[in-house]
Amino acid sequence: MDRRGFLKTAALTAAGALAAPRLSLAADAKTLRFVPQANLANLDPIWTTQYVVRNGSLLIWDMLLGVDDQLQPQPQMVEGHEVTADGKTWTFKLRPGLKFHDGEPVLAKDCVASINRWMVRDAPMGGPIKKRTDALEAVDDRIFRFRLNQPYPKMLFALGKSSTPALFIMPERIAATDPYKQITEYVGSGPMRFKRDEWVPGAKAVFERFDGYVPRDEKANWLSGGKRMHFDRIEWQIQPDGATAAAALQNGEVDWVETPLSDLIPLLRSNPNVAVDIADPLGNVGSFRINHLNPPFNDVRARRAIQIALSQEDYMTAVVGDDPELWKALPGYFTPDTPLYTEAGGEPLKGKRDYELAKKLLAEAGYKNEPIILLVATDVAITKAEGDVTADLLKRIGMNVQYQALDWGTVGQRRASKEPPDKGGWHIFHTWHAGADCVNPASYTALDCSGDTAWFGWPKSDLVQEKIAGWYAAPDLAAEKIAIAELNKAAMDFVVYVPTGFFKGYQAWRKNVSGVVKAPFPVFWDVTKA
Amino acid sequence: MLAYAVRRIFSTIPVMLIVALFVFSLLYIAPGDPAAIIAGDQATPADVERIRASLGLDRPFVVRFGDWLWHIVHGDLGTSIFTNLPVTHMIAQRIEPTVSLMILTLILSLACAIPMGVVAAWKHGTWIDRLVMMTAVVGFSTPVFVVGYVLAYIFALWLDWLPVQGFTSISQGLWPFLRNLILPSVALGLIYMALIARITRATMLDVLSQDYVRTAKAKGVGQAGMLFRHALKNAAVPIVTIVGIGFASLIGGAVVTESVFAIPGLGRLTVDAILRRDYPVIQGVVLLFSFLYVLVNLVVDLLYTLFDPRIRY
Repeated sequence: MDRRGFLKTAALTAAGALAAPRLSLAADAKTLRFVPQANLANLDPIWTTQYVVRNGSLLIWDMLLGVDDQLQPQPQMVEGHEVTADGKTWTFKLRPGLKFHDGEPVLAKDCVASINRWMVRDAPMGGPIKKRTDALEAVDDRIFRFRLNQPYPKMLFALGKSSTPALFIMPERIAATDPYKQITEYVGSGPMRFKRDEWVPGAKAVFERFDGYVPRDEKANWLSGGKRMHFDRIEWQIQPDGATAAAALQNGEVDWVETPLSDLIPLLRSNPNVAVDIADPLGNVGSFRINHLNPPFNDVRARRAIQIALSQEDYMTAVVGDDPELWKALPGYFTPDTPLYTEAGGEPLKGKRDYELAKKLLAEAGYKNEPIILLVATDVAITKAEGDVTADLLKRIGMNVQYQALDWGTVGQRRASKEPPDKGGWHIFHTWHAGADCVNPASYTALDCSGDTAWFGWPKSDLVQEKIAGWYAAPDLAAEKIAIAELNKAAMDFVVYVPTGFFKGYQAWRKNVSGVVKAPFPVFWDVTKA
Repeated sequence: MLAYAVRRIFSTIPVMLIVALFVFSLLYIAPGDPAAIIAGDQATPADVERIRASLGLDRPFVVRFGDWLWHIVHGDLGTSIFTNLPVTHMIAQRIEPTVSLMILTLILSLACAIPMGVVAAWKHGTWIDRLVMMTAVVGFSTPVFVVGYVLAYIFALWLDWLPVQGFTSISQGLWPFLRNLILPSVALGLIYMALIARITRATMLDVLSQDYVRTAKAKGVGQAGMLFRHALKNAAVPIVTIVGIGFASLIGGAVVTESVFAIPGLGRLTVDAILRRDYPVIQGVVLLFSFLYVLVNLVVDLLYTLFDPRIRY
């Protein structure tokens, strides 16, 4: 071949290759390519409370009970349970035929070990159960029993809760791992097994169907019912860049994006092959977290000054934009549209914002223009938006704000400091709480007012704690509603923290995928792909 | 020359030690807490403390540094705090995409930039020269991520010729491998191309004004032979130098490119590790990059002898 011949052949080859129609991979109906909300950096749902880990764990490990879309715990691994009239002895029986991915049967002793590990790390519910437990024992291979020294009416809710850390059942040898150390084996009894050999943390995680899984007969409903998998493989593709994820979805390179960028939603909606809908109906509660230890916010009047000046509309518009479907005002602490939602005591968050009264309250609290340390995680879009609005708000009410732009890793460290602001401490930081965690006080860590042992900011209020205890003791829904209304009012009066509003996010998927549901976590069972 | 190369390789040891100490110290004083990230947003402060202790992050600086160094000396870069996987394993998983991206970028950049620079020098002052220089300016001044998004929009979303993201190993075929890397390599290579093209042009202009070039012309040497055999070879030393120096910017650019095109390479591993404060991974990757940089510069030094016989080691 001479030079001209070579060039001609090369050019023709290249042109042919480039002109090939639709190079995107043909959809493989047995493989689902999913872009999760974050990187799956580890898979121990007890060691870490990150939601993305919980979401991956839902595929690998099964749960004793699972919540449905009415937030009611339903039997999942358990066949049924009995509780004695005094409420102190709970006996659970496992379904027959449950198997781990290594072929071993799921036994009651595995459940006991898993519950023991979970109780150490789950402060809101596991901890109180542990304190009340005289014995937790395997009666036989399929039956295990709690013997409590005082009743715990929310037992089923605790064992089936979806908030982190959720109770996943692991083989005894794995569950025996120190709860503060990471497990090294990912063997569960869930519908999918983890392909550790294909795991590239930060890039890809692969799950393959576990043929030994026996789904329940009922229809799947969130974490309850028959978890029937229609895929041989589920590939989680970690996409650090939201724009790339959206482009990959449009191009058919991925099937489902859990949290597409809200800015790109109009673009995705305009694509005839892409469906867009609300991801989690329980949404999120934005949080203006205040440090109760440091002046001026150790005085409730200073906290109330924020409460009456804060405009939730400003915050929500900054967080989710102009889309009215994505947010609503939240003059309360609990998730809207759930059974216990209440606005009792929420008046300070309603109506016209009053900067003058806020300034007056700050003066009464003894504020004299000291610097207010505002920690802002600028690498997280939501906290950055909230931080910017707060900086403006504080200036409007005459506060001397020091905006400290940090990344989330640093905020995570700084917020743990109980030191005064001039020694590395802080006054305010922003975050948000999953609405699923805010449906009642059991998983609502941010509402705990136990002082030193409370969540960051360390609020201390005996009244709020008393009202939380009142909910635990409530025997039925009507009593729970009364207890929650009282709790909400007490917490609002004390200003545990200031909710910045309630907001939701979208999810997007290719239209050849069907069965995607709205839930606080991605539900893969009953999803199919044409 | 072999003795020189061996000496240079051994001289990297103190360099790497200094880098190790510097990186470790920097991470030690930098704010951030992996325990808080592991524990998650709902964890209590007590949980965070317990996790920190279980990871050994509450130990004094000297103890931690000594422990880490001891393992490094034994070829153990440690274990990732988050994934519980050995850092060497994580690097091994990620090295192919990054090395592939860099090599392809290098090939593309050199293949385009050197002819561009030579032709611009040859046609000095003409529209061709101005076109080449304008391209170089655009290449310099356009951020990698902008080029990346534009390329992805045109060639993936609009024309549907190439994929938006991802990486396919060369073991699965040459075309699938290239298909994923073409856009990232062009995006990453643009700055590099501009840099090399400008240096090539400037050096060639200098060389083309030399007496021996005029003599070669007078002796009837053909244009192509004169440009590429005589002039370019003599202009090669500065070009090779800039290729070596530019390697650092290639590493920096790879971090952005890998994020934009979702390539599971070392750049993304580094960013993820920094955001999470995964200290062993950060330290391991920075050490590797430092070693590669030293190695590339050694290769550049050795290449000098190839282009200029007057240089002896």
